[in-house]
Amino acid sequence: MGKESEKHLLSPGVYYLQGSQACTEGAITAGCRVYAGYPITPASEVMEHAALRLPQVGGRFIQMEDEISSASVLLGASWAGAKAMTATSSPGFSLMQEVISFAIMTETPLVIVDVQRPGPGQGYITTSQEDVMQARWGHHGEGSIIALSPASVQEMYDFTIEAFNLAETWRSPVLVMAEETVAHMREPLTIPPQNQIEILTRKKPQDLGIPPHSFLPYGHDIVPPMANWGEGYNVNHVSLVHHEDGNVTKYDRKTHFDSVLRIKQKIEGNVDHISRIETRFMKDCRHVVICYGSVSRTAVEAVMEARRECGIDVGFLRLVTLWPFPETKLREVVDNVDTVFVPEINLGMMKHPITEALRDRCKRIVSIPTLGCLHSPEMILSKIYEVAK
Amino acid sequence: MKRHPMLKYLKEKGPAGPRMPTIMCPGCGAGQVLNYTLHAVDDILREDGIKKEEVVFISGVGCSSRLTSHYLEFDSGWTIHGRALPIATGALLANPSLKIIVFTGDGDAMAIGGNHFIHTCRRNLNVTILCINNGLYGMTGGQVAPTTPAGIATTTTPYGNIEEAFDICKMAETAGASYVARWTTAHPRQTIKSIKQGVRKRGSAVIEILSQCPVHKKASAVDMLRELKATTVSIKKTSCQPKGKTPIGVFCDKNKPEWTEKYQEIITQHSSRENR
Amino acid sequence: MNRLYINQDYCKGCLICVDVCPKHAIGASDRLNSKGYILPDEIDMSECSGCMLCEMVCPDFAIAVETDEEAYRHGGET
Repeated sequence: MGKESEKHLLSPGVYYLQGSQACTEGAITAGCRVYAGYPITPASEVMEHAALRLPQVGGRFIQMEDEISSASVLLGASWAGAKAMTATSSPGFSLMQEVISFAIMTETPLVIVDVQRPGPGQGYITTSQEDVMQARWGHHGEGSIIALSPASVQEMYDFTIEAFNLAETWRSPVLVMAEETVAHMREPLTIPPQNQIEILTRKKPQDLGIPPHSFLPYGHDIVPPMANWGEGYNVNHVSLVHHEDGNVTKYDRKTHFDSVLRIKQKIEGNVDHISRIETRFMKDCRHVVICYGSVSRTAVEAVMEARRECGIDVGFLRLVTLWPFPETKLREVVDNVDTVFVPEINLGMMKHPITEALRDRCKRIVSIPTLGCLHSPEMILSKIYEVAK
Repeated sequence: MKRHPMLKYLKEKGPAGPRMPTIMCPGCGAGQVLNYTLHAVDDILREDGIKKEEVVFISGVGCSSRLTSHYLEFDSGWTIHGRALPIATGALLANPSLKIIVFTGDGDAMAIGGNHFIHTCRRNLNVTILCINNGLYGMTGGQVAPTTPAGIATTTTPYGNIEEAFDICKMAETAGASYVARWTTAHPRQTIKSIKQGVRKRGSAVIEILSQCPVHKKASAVDMLRELKATTVSIKKTSCQPKGKTPIGVFCDKNKPEWTEKYQEIITQHSSRENR
Repeated sequence: MNRLYINQDYCKGCLICVDVCPKHAIGASDRLNSKGYILPDEIDMSECSGCMLCEMVCPDFAIAVETDEEAYRHGGET
């Protein structure tokens, strides 16, 4: 990032911004210089802000003809050396699944923001957490994915930067699973000084002293170094089952198994480095509320109310990263509780991996579902009271 | 022993073993188009002072797209069915100095990627689109394509095709491409010349190359090439198109602003201001 | 005299090269390669004008014609 474009980043200070705008600002800070998108409520504001801001920092914005092409643009941009992003909402996210699968297999760093809205179908245009399973399992085939779940305007900024860092570090598509609630929310955003923000970029063969003739586009390491187009490495991006050198002629079962396993394991095997949880009141608690995204804002209210007013010993655990699922971290902090409450803006989706992780650590797992709107603290509290009183 | 001069641009083998001969069926026109393209690129590299690393090949999925599967000693991408053009768009947005050549087929460009084809031409993005038109889906077994002539029987039109065929060149010209031409695999020198013009053109250049599929048409490549010559007519030679003959030649060659050039003006204008 | 070289591993026997040769300097041989494809061969290379059309149209990069001039440049005997 040249000094010329740096001066167009937001200067350190406190701003009053919408979550969508904070997301775009985070992307620009992270070094995003290509943005492609297609209008969809409630995600369009991310794109509108990108259209305004990208040329100011020397980047390029394009409004494409659909969500498939928007996501496809990221592939070409990433291969040509740029950090690239798109934002969409749930129906558009469905359309992007093939690109996500392709990006997993070609190990392409890119960032997709899904400002979730209810489904199925057109559903509605309010808030939702109904894509959290699609995020992990929507793409065809094996592999893994990284997905973050922001809960505030500040996190829309911070997590978008983190998303780019993770994408570049692990050569993987990274999803920011925002919700309409956080995208349309307005609250203060603190921009720290540039030198306090960690910005990571992909490892290149040049950095490791690997010359073009001995470069293996899918080799060298569990996360292979990535050569950009235009730098003389004659790199071929290919999503058919391939050898380390990109050869697709000689199919063999072992190469197939080993290469796809590596692509999955570089994420799943590093879940402890990648995934984060946040906890409060967990010490010796009898019950725990496990939540993510904007629900964590009302859930923490409910937990505090339950402890203070009802004397119910309930802890609070928030999944900051949804995927790879932080199972070990969950098992480290949840041990022998009565009830795990899982409030979600869906009919019980993350409840499933939570159950898988904690089935021997609790007596019951209680889903607190809602659709189309954020839980009120009372809604969560009444369920806690009903079960735990 | 002399070897084919274009082999210098091909990855014949690597650590995982040989990559050639190509996967193409005997007599496939796609291999010929690759040969013509490399001849054109060879000339351009010598004549224009362009570096080899500035040239990027992108394809989607299909027989035509296998050309970039792993043979080229260039930067390349063998990508998603129909999406080569948006991917080329992304590469151009990241690095507008790249010379991008897209190999696509009639199914890849006209059916699944039809919308991207239209909008790439409309934006006049600086990309050379080589559309190898064999009139069917070869890779998947010879199904009907948007370019299959009416009446033809294929594996999915066993009673004959009831739909009209697309005219790729008319579509490209209407959508706004700077350069549009049609040749056949039986016209090597003209095709090479057109590819050179297309790569040199600032803006979208669409070159449709009518090609043979000896396997699914159950004919010999030589007979099919003769037929391609016999059933086409140069637009230079005739003002009125003889009935039943397909016009070939350069249909459109104009100079107009290219997308990244226009966007650069926006960058220049809006990045020079001090902090917002 | 120009010389014809056929890469037997790459040739798929389509014989497009034979059809395009304006001088009938090359033709189908009675030799098959390991995959059973009919290989092209010289008929009368003294007729070859070095137009390189056969190199240009080959879908498999399997044919090469070395002209006298090329052979001379590479230090071979003509």
